Amino acid sequence: MTSDVTPDQSPEPEVPAKKAPAKKTTAKKTAAKKAPTKAAAKKSPTTTAARAAASAQPSPSGTKPPRRAVILGGNRTPFGRAGKAYASASNQDLLTAAIDGLVARYGLAGVQLGEVAAGAVLKHSKDFNLTRESVLGSALDPRTPAYDVQQACATGLEAFVTLANKIQLGQTDSAIAGGVDSTSDAPIAVGDALRKALIKLSYAKTAGQKAKILASIRPKHLTPAPPRVDEPRTGLSMGEHQAITTLQWGVTREAQDELALASHVNLAKAYDDGFFDDLITPFHGLARDENLRADTTLEKLATLKPVFGKRLEGEATMTAGNSTPLSDGASAVLVASEDWAAERGLTPLAAFVDAQSAAVDFVHGTDGLLMAPVFAVPTLLRRNNLTFDDLDFIEIHEAFASTVLSALAAWESEEFGRERLGLDGAFGTVDRARLNVIGSSLAAGHPFAATGGRILASTAKLLAQRKAETGRTARALISVCAAGGLGVAAILESA
Amino acid sequence: MRHPADRQAVALPEIPGMGRVYARTLTARGSRRPALEPVEVRVDDVTIDAEHLADYQRILGEPVSDVAPAGYLFVLSFPLALSIMTRKGFPLRALGMVHVRNRIVQNHPVRIGDSLGLRTWAQDLRAHRSGTQVDLVTQALDADGDVAWEQVSTFLAKGVRLEGIPAADDGAPRVEFSAPVPTGRWELPADTGRRYAAVSGDRNPIHLNPLLARVFGFQRTIAHGMYTAARVLAAVGPARGEAYAWDVDFARPVLLPATVAVRAAEADGARGRRADDATGGASFELALWDPRSGKPHLTGTLTRLPS
Repeated sequence: MTSDVTPDQSPEPEVPAKKAPAKKTTAKKTAAKKAPTKAAAKKSPTTTAARAAASAQPSPSGTKPPRRAVILGGNRTPFGRAGKAYASASNQDLLTAAIDGLVARYGLAGVQLGEVAAGAVLKHSKDFNLTRESVLGSALDPRTPAYDVQQACATGLEAFVTLANKIQLGQTDSAIAGGVDSTSDAPIAVGDALRKALIKLSYAKTAGQKAKILASIRPKHLTPAPPRVDEPRTGLSMGEHQAITTLQWGVTREAQDELALASHVNLAKAYDDGFFDDLITPFHGLARDENLRADTTLEKLATLKPVFGKRLEGEATMTAGNSTPLSDGASAVLVASEDWAAERGLTPLAAFVDAQSAAVDFVHGTDGLLMAPVFAVPTLLRRNNLTFDDLDFIEIHEAFASTVLSALAAWESEEFGRERLGLDGAFGTVDRARLNVIGSSLAAGHPFAATGGRILASTAKLLAQRKAETGRTARALISVCAAGGLGVAAILESA
Repeated sequence: MRHPADRQAVALPEIPGMGRVYARTLTARGSRRPALEPVEVRVDDVTIDAEHLADYQRILGEPVSDVAPAGYLFVLSFPLALSIMTRKGFPLRALGMVHVRNRIVQNHPVRIGDSLGLRTWAQDLRAHRSGTQVDLVTQALDADGDVAWEQVSTFLAKGVRLEGIPAADDGAPRVEFSAPVPTGRWELPADTGRRYAAVSGDRNPIHLNPLLARVFGFQRTIAHGMYTAARVLAAVGPARGEAYAWDVDFARPVLLPATVAVRAAEADGARGRRADDATGGASFELALWDPRSGKPHLTGTLTRLPS
């Protein structure tokens, strides 16, 4: 994090100023070090829209933390498809397995860590202390404190950011950030009418009162209410929301299928290269992600029928192939101070640099449900005096292929840059050769809260490899969209 | 709304029960006289029942709070409108009249514990191209006598022609509805009408029973118009502020069960505009439509007012 840059003094991003498209494959950029040529020409957004956008995403000034938080490694279960390999495993089982795999890999059995934070999106009320219970069930010292975090699909990344901040501040020395979700273990609730009757029943004192309440229960009240997959305020599912965004940004079926194919090809290659050998511990009969289709082709993807956006004015382009499936799985990331790592003889892979959250007003259709990272990323990069060209790896969670492509389109749009980001033009172009280089959620699957930990550990390893190859600092951006119009972005650099 | 001073006030001790006023709708024939009686009904010291308000808020997806959403006083005062419409001297037959438009101005919040004075009258009997229209006006006065809330509900008696009444000013020609980008979608189950009837007290059989709905010319039960409208208002949420004008035109009934598309979005150019900026027009555009046919169920606007 750069301590000398405040939002008001931030230089203009370099990319919009460039005339040539940023389609370069080399990463030899020095933009971050360039003198801020336009520092004096502070923007004054002229439209109310730009003002609204700017005020909606506060941009705090960066302050250099007292010490670094470094990622030492990670572990996850292979991700299963809903109702398949992990159908009999609970959230707690999966999270415990992910933590125990990490403990085994880094020799942490019986070790008292500073803190463990993790969470799940689909969570039983009985799992109010899911992470603590998982720690107690793991090989860690039972005196390791733990707490639950829940921020929809950003849960895992947010758990990490919170712990990394604590480490930077010296509040703790070592931690595990994680996440888990099991759609196969989703809580089924009773309907409102039965729930209210049962609550009243628990307060009833006399047999007469109880009999009266019981008599009020009708057979139809016994129908279970499954967990909602739609946004509570709009009634639209996440896929239907994204279908609207997809049309608004004109993302084609072909572009989505190409991104999905790249995800499968890249993930399969990473497995074949042994990339995941020290990132994944097989679980319950799975050694690879169950959703991975190494042999898929554009032709096969093109045969799939659209599943979202069928009732909108425009072509429906989102299929089961270019959308993430419901998945089961867990992940865990070991993060610590450099001193703690040295004491235990562990080698840091990457350091946490900075993070930024954002939210959008999707309720009134102002922005798409999954478009918050489109605002978080520019704020984060500008605060750190970075552009896309300064990044070796860009990891954008593939909720849907079109989510990634809509974000890229927004950043490339002159109009969006001016009207909504308060810039002079487009924010920038992502070099596709640096995007999701070992595959992402379309191929791996997306057990909501586990995705953050998957990306963090893989990206830390990529950064360590890149630094070993080039001898210079490598940087990565991680961006995760989430239900509720939320988004979290983070920067890592090689340790 | 200017309150007409020259009317005979009929003070009621309390808001009449819906059962009683509905019974009167069955017998009221309509006088067919081409004029409205100069009469208004009044009920003083009306207070809001916290449990009833919570039931109303919950069924609409409003947060349970002490402030009544604008549609709640429609529910509370509806028996007063019906009791005007079922008076012997009322020119039109109440049964079968169609609620075609509703305008509510919420000048300031109405809360649990407030003592309200309600007064309701009819005005502007007029000839419409498809029948005869009349406005039912209700005001809710706070303890200081200020109008906290007021409503104009326009009803249409289809096919009824009365001699010697002025023609309706239809205003601007109707703009053809073109389905916008939705901000939401609702699945409305078959019992939507029955559930809202239980809360609102409006047990008009067209909302309850498919066979009775058929008798009145509908293929299935239909959703209460003010239920769908109030849910769209709930979709605007707290962005509507404390004071607002809320206009709704009902186009086609929602036959249950139904899937409907919704739009409750900031109007073009409204973003960032201050509530006391009177130049800009509507703050939010509202619409509910059938996503298959693209035909509208309702359209409307919400305009924030300085509070």
